[in-house]
Amino acid sequence: MKINAAFVEKILTAFIKEELSKCGFKKGILGLSGGLDSAVCAALAARALGPKNVIGLIMPYGKGFGPDLEDARNVARILKIDARTIDIAPMVDAYFKKNPTGKPLLKGNKMARERMSVLYDWSAREKALILGTSNKTELLIGYGTIHGDLACAINPMGDLYKTQVRELATHLGIPERIRTKAPSAGLWAGQTDEGEIGLTYAELDDILEHLVDGRESPREVVARGFTKNRVEKIVRLIRGSEFKRQMPPIAKISSRTIGHDFLYPFDWDK
Amino acid sequence: MIVALAQFSPVLGDVARNLDFHLEYVEKARRAKADLLVFPELSLTGYKLRDLTAETAQDPRTSKTFATLREASRNLALVVGFVEETPREKGLFYNSAAFLLKGSIFHIHRKVFLPNSGMFEELRFFAQGRTFRAFGTPRGRAGMLICRDFLHLNSHYLLFADGAEISITISAAPGRGVSGDDGFATSRMWEAMGETVSRLTTSFVVYCNRVGFEDGAVFAGGSFVFDPFGRRVAQAPYFDPDFLLVEIDPADIRRARQTMTFKRDDKPEVTLANLERIVHRDED
Repeated sequence: MKINAAFVEKILTAFIKEELSKCGFKKGILGLSGGLDSAVCAALAARALGPKNVIGLIMPYGKGFGPDLEDARNVARILKIDARTIDIAPMVDAYFKKNPTGKPLLKGNKMARERMSVLYDWSAREKALILGTSNKTELLIGYGTIHGDLACAINPMGDLYKTQVRELATHLGIPERIRTKAPSAGLWAGQTDEGEIGLTYAELDDILEHLVDGRESPREVVARGFTKNRVEKIVRLIRGSEFKRQMPPIAKISSRTIGHDFLYPFDWDK
Repeated sequence: MIVALAQFSPVLGDVARNLDFHLEYVEKARRAKADLLVFPELSLTGYKLRDLTAETAQDPRTSKTFATLREASRNLALVVGFVEETPREKGLFYNSAAFLLKGSIFHIHRKVFLPNSGMFEELRFFAQGRTFRAFGTPRGRAGMLICRDFLHLNSHYLLFADGAEISITISAAPGRGVSGDDGFATSRMWEAMGETVSRLTTSFVVYCNRVGFEDGAVFAGGSFVFDPFGRRVAQAPYFDPDFLLVEIDPADIRRARQTMTFKRDDKPEVTLANLERIVHRDED
């Protein structure tokens, strides 16, 4: 699980720089939540592109998340990146006024997609490419909103477990307050990732590393001493969220079909 | 003899731009009085071609790109990587390496071991080569391998048995495995094998890997040269582009083979007889 943070920083900053230049962009844009992942992504982008070429969009829902708003602004200030605050409450409230629900998950997903929508709008306004902030842990267990926070143009941190993101954060000088606070998707007040998933990130990442990187069977992981129902829960989460990690399947009718046998690289003509 | 390695990042699918890069390195190598300039695997096309494989294919005997490269090889041997398609085998694409010198094609190696598992899908797009062959050059007998060929024991043995004194591997090896150490875990694998092979074959082992990103894959660089005594005489950085120059002494082959008499004592006929038995044996 341990990483050489300096080496990883070098790869990821080069990745951001190269992908942007291939796509013809100078600037990157990302959502700043005040949490660990977006702070690390912003720091990498600032080092890769220069702080003047990074835009952090802070998108609170009304005044509900005061301390996080402060943290997000702090991150932008420390990194000297451009920051803008856009309140998504008017858009989200207008929708739920006509389509009311009592389910916090529905509201949370709508908010995540509203932020995505704002990000893509500012991406076009500012000619800035959207940097994803999802880490390997949440991608694997599907802890993200499809077409919401999972939407991006490139994902520099998608192969780093949360534990490794924290290690990288220390190397990048992210303030301790942000590194140590309980991770939260911020879909509703008081929500924490670990509370909702029912596992600590330390244990979750440990199990994932055995299952995914080590290619061990769930039975072998349990034999290592991990609790059976926790391992099984993680396996269920991974299987159940594959749809969030792939393009939707296309029914093959013709002799050459996108995704089946019309196969070009993502970096085609870049 | 001066060997130059162009550890660079080809543009995916753009042969014309890559040819320009090649010519820039040729000019650098010429100024450095290099005798041999080695490019990475698929240096004319980039690696993750998928359906661009067909669109970037060259017949090295007739293509304009190769006419230019052959012209550039008048006073400098070049090893370039490309997608090969010949009129005799239309629609078959090989992942190939060409050794060019004095304006002509000395040898073409077609990659034999096409990786096709995990992140690799070469068999989906390429035809498989069948031959490992050493070939004569004015500076001694050489052999070429392409990336995964290098990781198979028999490739090295065949070049050794065929008299190669310098083995040249062109590569597009992605880095995999980050730990607390510097660089990728896979880079250490290549280096360990490079040293071992140079000792086992008492040959020069030249390895040129590429750098850059394609569809998220990170090419690890770390090109190197080992001498016939297993000494690393050149090492490029991981991950960053580099133009690596190293002077090697071909007389080291003679010295090494006097000290370690593996070549003299080799018994290819024993290998052959045993392989015949192993390949054709009835069930035990």
